[in-house]
Amino acid sequence: MIALLRRPAYFVSRALEAMARRPRVALVATLTLAVALFVTGLFAAALRGAERLLGAWAGEVSISVYLDPGADLERAREAVAAAAAGRRGEAVSAPEALRRFREALGPQGGLLDGVKPDLLPPSIEVSAPGIRLAQVPGAREVDYGNAWLEKLERLLGRLRWAGAALFAALAAGAAVLVANTLRLGVFARREEIEIMRLVGATDLFVEAPFLIEGLLQGALGGSLAAVALLAVAAAAAPALAGATGLALARADLVPGSLVGALVGGGAALGLFSSALAVGRELRRR
Amino acid sequence: MVELFHVHKQYAGEAPALLDVTLGVEKGEFVFLTGPSGAGKSTLMRLVFCAEVATSGQLLVFGRNVAKLTPSQIPYLRRSIGVVFQDFKLLPDRTVAENVAFPLEVRGLPAREVRRKVEAILRSVGLELKAAKFPLSLSGGEQQRVAVARALVGDPALLLADEPTGNLDPERTLEVMDLLQAANARGTTVLVATHDRSLLERYKKRVVALERGRVVADGAEIRRAGRA
Repeated sequence: MIALLRRPAYFVSRALEAMARRPRVALVATLTLAVALFVTGLFAAALRGAERLLGAWAGEVSISVYLDPGADLERAREAVAAAAAGRRGEAVSAPEALRRFREALGPQGGLLDGVKPDLLPPSIEVSAPGIRLAQVPGAREVDYGNAWLEKLERLLGRLRWAGAALFAALAAGAAVLVANTLRLGVFARREEIEIMRLVGATDLFVEAPFLIEGLLQGALGGSLAAVALLAVAAAAAPALAGATGLALARADLVPGSLVGALVGGGAALGLFSSALAVGRELRRR
Repeated sequence: MVELFHVHKQYAGEAPALLDVTLGVEKGEFVFLTGPSGAGKSTLMRLVFCAEVATSGQLLVFGRNVAKLTPSQIPYLRRSIGVVFQDFKLLPDRTVAENVAFPLEVRGLPAREVRRKVEAILRSVGLELKAAKFPLSLSGGEQQRVAVARALVGDPALLLADEPTGNLDPERTLEVMDLLQAANARGTTVLVATHDRSLLERYKKRVVALERGRVVADGAEIRRAGRA
């Protein structure tokens, strides 16, 4: 490690030289990394899009807390606002509820003539998905909006776990694929490795250029995957926005953090796979 | 310099490659290791530069028991040993100068020092004008001179040459042998494995004969007995 730290320029130049000597091997390794990372990134973007969509739908859902007839409306509203992370709940008194009902009935509103103004319970309405409001003082019943949305959210929760497992499987598959591809590069240079060891090279001296190559190829593959993913997202975002009615932009599907993860993850994957491939070759001897 | 005590080497499922070999090579000696194919010459060489481990017995190189060296110590031992092979083992995609520079780069010498030493050693083997050529554009004799230059560029205390002239015509053979002899004259201990009897006749050096993994004769008298 000390040798690597003392002579980084030497090892970087040897890594670049090796890639220039065998451009096809370097290209195949970089493209393999790029494809593996693109597939993984595409999955992450799709999951992110689905979450964004669900989040938007959930945001539109209004929760109604129905109160006892004599409940303190203002106190209940404050309790809802506290539980809903500062979102201001709307207090709807019994006469106001009746007025809205009448309005909703339209021409048939006359059916409600002569009905007592406290027929309908007072309520607090708030747009804040995923909160629990049973503790609101005077609450008689809470309507959490569309039941299907809750089911969808539960499904998405399961999907998140399945997604994480699939993501791990994809990443592991990519690592194996990349390690095998990089092994081809190591295999092509086994004679060089043999001679290096013959003249007294330490394992680290042998490994260092391979590790740097893996790192560079990984970062380059990750960058290619990120560019391709951004292009796909730019093309797909308008169509998705049209289909869902959401204001979806490219950055909503492929945010900067995903781009960073692809480049950084690619570099780490290249480094790890290279270490596996060259370590195996060194142990073989 | 090199001492073997009752060294035994056995590969799985094969006849023993070395059987109870006891042998010493003094500092500054030039020793021919001879015997038919399969006698154990190359195995003995590989044990000395730690490419193999003896099954039993003791092997001391520069006074150090190689069986007790950790894997991380072996590269440092190898830096004191130059090795030449019959098939040259040069990197075809590197120039002559780059091939010769390899052992010096491994040691972390500054680029200027590497250049100076490479130029000097290439001059001494008569290849200073071929420094920028690639090995495959050279004749067999020239390639072996490059390999000798690479083995000698780090001023090793011990030079091992495993059939260094096996692929060369008689004239090129003498060129390469003269380089090994010159290195020996400068103080490098040289151990040459060969089955070429003419070399034993020409260069009056100590000869160790191996047969089926055993030392069957040791000394200058082997030439007269015609064992090689």
